[in-house]
Amino acid sequence: MSTYPPNLAEIVDFFDLLPEDEKRENLIAYADSAAACAPKAGETFDLEDVRKDEECTDTVGVFLRVDRATRALHFRINLGPHVQTLTRAMTAILCKGLDGATPEQVLDVPQDFVPKIVGGQLVRLRSQTVYYILTRMKSTAKVWLNRERAAAT
Amino acid sequence: MNPKFAGYAHPEVLVDGAWLQEHLNDPSIRIVESNEDVLLYDTGHLPGAVHIDWRGDLQDNTQRDYVTPERFAEVCSKNGIGPDTTVVFYGDKSNWWAAYALWAFRLFGHTKVKLLDGGSAKWKAEGRPITREKPKIAPTQYPLPKRRHDDEIRAFFLDALAHSNARQPLIDVRSPGEYRGEITHMPEYPQEGVLRGGHVPGARSVPWKTAANDDGTFKSFDELKKIYTEDLGLKKDDDIIAYCRIGERSSHTWFVLTYLLGYDKVRNYDGSWTEWGNMVRAPIAKGEQPG
Repeated sequence: MSTYPPNLAEIVDFFDLLPEDEKRENLIAYADSAAACAPKAGETFDLEDVRKDEECTDTVGVFLRVDRATRALHFRINLGPHVQTLTRAMTAILCKGLDGATPEQVLDVPQDFVPKIVGGQLVRLRSQTVYYILTRMKSTAKVWLNRERAAAT
Repeated sequence: MNPKFAGYAHPEVLVDGAWLQEHLNDPSIRIVESNEDVLLYDTGHLPGAVHIDWRGDLQDNTQRDYVTPERFAEVCSKNGIGPDTTVVFYGDKSNWWAAYALWAFRLFGHTKVKLLDGGSAKWKAEGRPITREKPKIAPTQYPLPKRRHDDEIRAFFLDALAHSNARQPLIDVRSPGEYRGEITHMPEYPQEGVLRGGHVPGARSVPWKTAANDDGTFKSFDELKKIYTEDLGLKKDDDIIAYCRIGERSSHTWFVLTYLLGYDKVRNYDGSWTEWGNMVRAPIAKGEQPG
C-alpha cells in the first residue's frame, strides 16, 4: 500500500473516484492553474534548476525554498508555453500535493499515483512526460538533501 | 494565396491562418485537430474544429496497425467528414500529428487534405479565435474505403531492409543523438521500448526540424530544395523511405517531400526505430556515418 504526503493523498483520493470525463475536466482545471505555481516577484529560493530541452518539450524551472526549522519544502515551478497540458496539470497537483513535505517524503513518493489521477484513457507512452515533473522535483530535493548532509559532516 | 506557398510543388495542400479564419464556416471543409498533447483540444481549439486522436481513432493497437476501413468510415462519419470534404489538419508540435493524421487519411484514399502551416501554436500566436465549445456535428455517411494505400505511401520492415541493403534513399529524421545511437528516445521524453540505439545502415540523417522554421511553419521551397535535393542529393524519381521512432516525425518529412518538393515516391516507415531497433538480426549502424 503506497503512502503519500497528506496533501497529495487527498488529491489522489479525490481523482481516484472520478469517472474518466470528470478526471479530464479536473485535470484541465489544474492545468489552467499551473501558471500560479510560478515564482512570484520578490521570492527567494534555496535552489533553482532551470532547463531547456531543445528538441521537443520546453523550459521547465524548478525552484525550491526550504523552511530550515521544519525542513518543509515549498516548490515553485515555471513552465514554458509548449509544455503539455497533462504536465501542466501534474505541476499544479504536485506543487499543492508536495507542499510542506520533507525531502525524504518527496524522494519516497511512488509513481503509482499518476494512473490513479490521470486515468486509463489518457495514460499512453507520449503522455508519460507527466512523470517528468515529479522526477525534476525529486532531483531538486535530492540535491538539497545532499547539501544538508555535506554541511553536517 | 500566401506567396510562400506558390513556390511549392503542391501549394494547394497548405493553408495559412488568414485563409482558414475566412473558411471557418465553409461547409465543404472540416477542420481536424490532432495532437501529441492528449488534452490540448479540450483547453481550446479552432471554432468548429473536431478532434481526431492518432491513437484512439486511427490506430489498432491490438495489431500495431491502422484501423479497419469500417472503423475509419465510422470516425469520418462521426466527425461530419464526407468523401468530398476537404479536411484541414492542424495540431501541436509543428504539426507532427496533424501530418501523421493526414498521412493516415491518405492511407484510406482520402485525398482532399490540407495542413495549416504552423499548426495550433502559430494560430494562437496570431491571436486568432479559440474556443472550448465542441461543435455539434451532423454525422455523414462516409463510404467504406475500397482498400488501403499502404503500398504507395507506407513502408514496412522488409521494405526498409531492402532499401538498406541496396543503399536506396533512407532518411532518418530523428534528432542527431538518436541517429548516432547515444540515446534511444528524444531528450526529456520517455523511453518507448527500444533496446538498441543507432540507425538503419545506409540511412542519412536529416532531422525533421531542418524543414521547419522556429514558428513551426515550413521553410520555403528554395530552402527545402537546398536541404533535400542539393545537399542530400535526392532525385525526382527516387524511391524514398523516411523513418523516425514511431512514425510521426517522419510523417512531417513525408509531407515535405511529397507535397512541398513534389517527389513522386515517398513512403513513411511507421514501424520506425521502435521496430527496427528491437528486431532480431536487424543490423544497425552507430555514429555520424550512414554505415
